[in-house]
This record gives sequence, structure tokens and C-alpha cells, in this order.
Amino acid sequence: MLEFIIPNNIVCHAVEAMLFASVACAVLSVIITQVQISSIGFTMAHAAFAGAAVGMFLSLNPTVCSIVAGVAVAFLIGPLSDRARLSPDTSLGLLFGICMAVAIFFIAYMQTLGQGFSAMGLLFGDVISLYREEIYLLAVICIVAIAFIVVLYKEITAIIFDKRIAESVGIRVKPVYYAMLFVIALTVALCLPIIGGLLLYVWLVTPAAIALQFCNRLSTMFVVAPTVAAVISISGALVGLEYSLPVAPLTAVLFSAVFIAAVLLSPRRRVTFRKI
Amino acid sequence: MTASDPVIRLENVYTAYEGADRPTLTDISLSIGRGEFVVIGGPNGAGKTTLLETINGMLHITHGKAVVCGQDVRGDGVQVRCRVGYLLQNFAFDPLTPFTVEEVVLMGRYGTIGLFRKPRTEDYEAVKKSLHLLGIEDLAARPIGQLSGGQQQKVLMAQNLARNPEVLLLDEPFSNLDMFAREEINRLLARLVGSGITVLIVSHAFDDLPDRPVRVVVMQEGKIVVSRECPPKEVEQIVRNAGKGPSHA
Repeated sequence: MLEFIIPNNIVCHAVEAMLFASVACAVLSVIITQVQISSIGFTMAHAAFAGAAVGMFLSLNPTVCSIVAGVAVAFLIGPLSDRARLSPDTSLGLLFGICMAVAIFFIAYMQTLGQGFSAMGLLFGDVISLYREEIYLLAVICIVAIAFIVVLYKEITAIIFDKRIAESVGIRVKPVYYAMLFVIALTVALCLPIIGGLLLYVWLVTPAAIALQFCNRLSTMFVVAPTVAAVISISGALVGLEYSLPVAPLTAVLFSAVFIAAVLLSPRRRVTFRKI
Repeated sequence: MTASDPVIRLENVYTAYEGADRPTLTDISLSIGRGEFVVIGGPNGAGKTTLLETINGMLHITHGKAVVCGQDVRGDGVQVRCRVGYLLQNFAFDPLTPFTVEEVVLMGRYGTIGLFRKPRTEDYEAVKKSLHLLGIEDLAARPIGQLSGGQQQKVLMAQNLARNPEVLLLDEPFSNLDMFAREEINRLLARLVGSGITVLIVSHAFDDLPDRPVRVVVMQEGKIVVSRECPPKEVEQIVRNAGKGPSHA
């Protein structure tokens, strides 16, 4: 898609993948951080990771398996809390532990079988060996994530503001909330191969955390977060490929550095300090 | 529904919270007419907030019949909530909450606007009108998290008024307000009741009631133990006499 700007095919594919994945994750990061469901995002990322590992081991499509695992976890949290009389936080902790255990078990086992190389890609991401179809799929999920927010903007913003107030003004909170989880699960599963299960969380939280340092309005956050994420991710891909550094971990470090700088420079925090 | 029909009619209603093994409200029967001012009192845990959330369909009715604004609450609570304002108790917004006052008030109309539709000019007009009613037009562009508790309370009140409710449910509406703001809200409530809006208010501050006959409903252990009309000055005494009434704030 971007071959007319970047002639080198490998670099072009890496940039495209990082661009679509970062924009999709960043728009959803605004929802994840503002609805305060980052633990759900975290657990879903690891569930997708476990699903992909199991899929690889069983020679099934890892992407489909990770989508199924991510969605299953999102829909299991409520019933598990009710049946086992656990707080949602404890349920998430349990599911996270189970997902990690399953993922690590299968990755370790595959290593003993000599299939470790492909499995390691699930941990830290692999931006180079993507098929064209996978990049198209990322472009589609990027459009789906943006369309989801545009179409349900009123409902999403009200839920972000306060779920109970959203319900009291006549919004059908549950279907919108579950649709949110479904889109997050889908995005997580499709971004997993390039970013990796261990680092995906950075993409799902940091862009919104950076945007929040500068934005007073949610609508602005939905523009600033993906813009910042796209710039950082493309820079990470270009620098990583130029100097033969691991792209996803390098980009994650860049995200963290930009977040620290944003906190230090944040005009919103300066106002707060002055007021106190 | 005719003008003489009750705007709220509960018949032998039982309500339970999700996952609870027994109902929180038991055998509630209540009939409230258009333009009535109802004060709900009773000790903590008596079921006052539960009663409000039963009326607007936010809680599951396990048994009985509930009709609000001519709509069956058990059928579609969402339709009821589009016509009923509900000011929730106890809230605090983070200073970094990325919403302006105008955006928060506009949310009050989201249910009536409907899914996949954008706010129209009339929605923005309703927001302006309700900001004006509460005297907070000058706060419209301010982030809600940077306002005082009393100002935030007024914003949420404006949010409820923005959808032109037929019934207004207020849970401790005076809790964050100073005496001037209380008087202001009281005058507004009296005007709303005068214009035919039914107001149900859960409060422990009985000296702040509008100067007009009110209906007092006293609850204990999930049941209504008193429901009668009286002058506002007698409300506190009735609540006290009905049992372990709250201490005067």
C-alpha cells in the first residue's frame, strides 16, 4: 500500500503493519484507560497469546485461535466472578495466570520439539515475516476500530464518563460494553504476531496515557492518541530495521520514553500543581 | 395515559440485585400522581435508593407490576429512563476527566437521540436551556473534573433536566450543596413540580423542602411503612416516629 513512498518491500511491510496496528490499538487505548478496563485488556492480550500458542502446537490457525481465546476470556470474567463469588479483579488475576501458564507451557514444549523459533515470535513480535494478507487484515481491523468509535461515539463517551449514569440516561450499556470487548479482543488477536504477547499491553495503554497529559476533551484524545502512536511506531520500525534492532521492543521503549517526557511537560499537571 | 392517571404505579413489586438470593424490596405498592412532590425517608439500608432504581428500571423486578409514564418497567426500562431523570448519589470525578460541562449535560439526551444518530440543534438548545435553569451557563466549556462538588452536582442536575423528564428521581441532591445553592435548587424544584413534573427525593435534610404539601414515604427493611401527605414541616417528625429515623443534619 505504501510502496510508492517506501520502495524497500520489507521496510514497507513493517511500516504498514506497525501503522495499522498502532492506530487500532491507540484508539482502543482511549476506551481501555478511560473505562478503566486495562486489566481486562491485559488479560485478553495474554489470552490471545495463549490461544495462538495452542493453535501453533495443534497446527491450527494461530490468529483464529487467539481471537477465540481473547473473546472467550472477555465473556468469562462476569460469569466467573458471579459463580465463584470472586471480585472481577481476582477473576482477572486468575484468568491471567491460567493464560500465561498455558502459553508458556506450549511455547516451552514446542521448543523441546524444535519449533521454538516461530513460537518466540508470539512473545516479542515479528514485524518482518508478515504475509500481505495479514497486513490487509490489520488495515481492516484498523478501519473497524475507528468505525466502531465513530458510529457509537455517543454511547461510548457516556460509558466512559460513568457506566451507571450512561444507563440512567437510557443507553443500553451492556451490548455496547460487550461490543467494545469484542473489538478489543479482535484487535489484540490480529496485532499479536507483530507486537508480541508480552508487549501488546504497551500499545493498549500508553498512547492514551500520553494523550491524557495534553487533552482536556475526549474527542481530542481520540485524535492525539493514534497520531502519537503512529509516529512512534513508524519511527520504531524504521530505526529498528535500519540498525538491526528488535522492532517491537524498541518501539515499546520509545513509547515509554515519550510517556515520561509527556508527564514532565504536561500543561494539565502544571495547572493542578499550581492550584494545590 | 390520561392526566388523572398516576405517573408511577407499583403493585406488589419485589426487586432483587443481580446475584442476590433474596429480594431487597418486598411487596411495594405505590401510586404517585403527576406533579406530586414525594420525600422518601428511612434509615440507611432501608431500600430508598433501590426504590428509585426500581422505578427507573435499572434493577430487576422479580415479581409484581410497575408502570411509569405509561410504560411497563419490566418490558423496557430503557424507554422509561428516557423519560425519567435520575440524579445518582455519591459521585466524584477525577480532575483529569476529559469531559466539559456542556458534553456532560448533552449526555442527558443521548437516550432520546437514539442509537447511530448525532445530536441535533434542538438537543443543543435543550442543553443551553437547562444550563440556564441551573445558572451555570458560564461553566459550559470548563472540564467537569475541575469544578467543586456543588458545581458538579448542579451539572448532573442540568444533565437530567436536559431530557425534559416527566419524573425526576433525586438521591441526596443537597449533599454537596451550600445553603445558597440548596435554596436555589429548592426554588427550581418547586417550579418544576408546579409545571407538572413529579419529583421523588431521597434526603436526610428535611428543612430544605419546598414550601408546599408533600407526600412522605418512609421505608424500613425494604418495605414502605408510611405513605401520606403532610406539610413539609411535619416530614421529619413523621420519619422519626416511623422508627429509627435519621438524625437531623
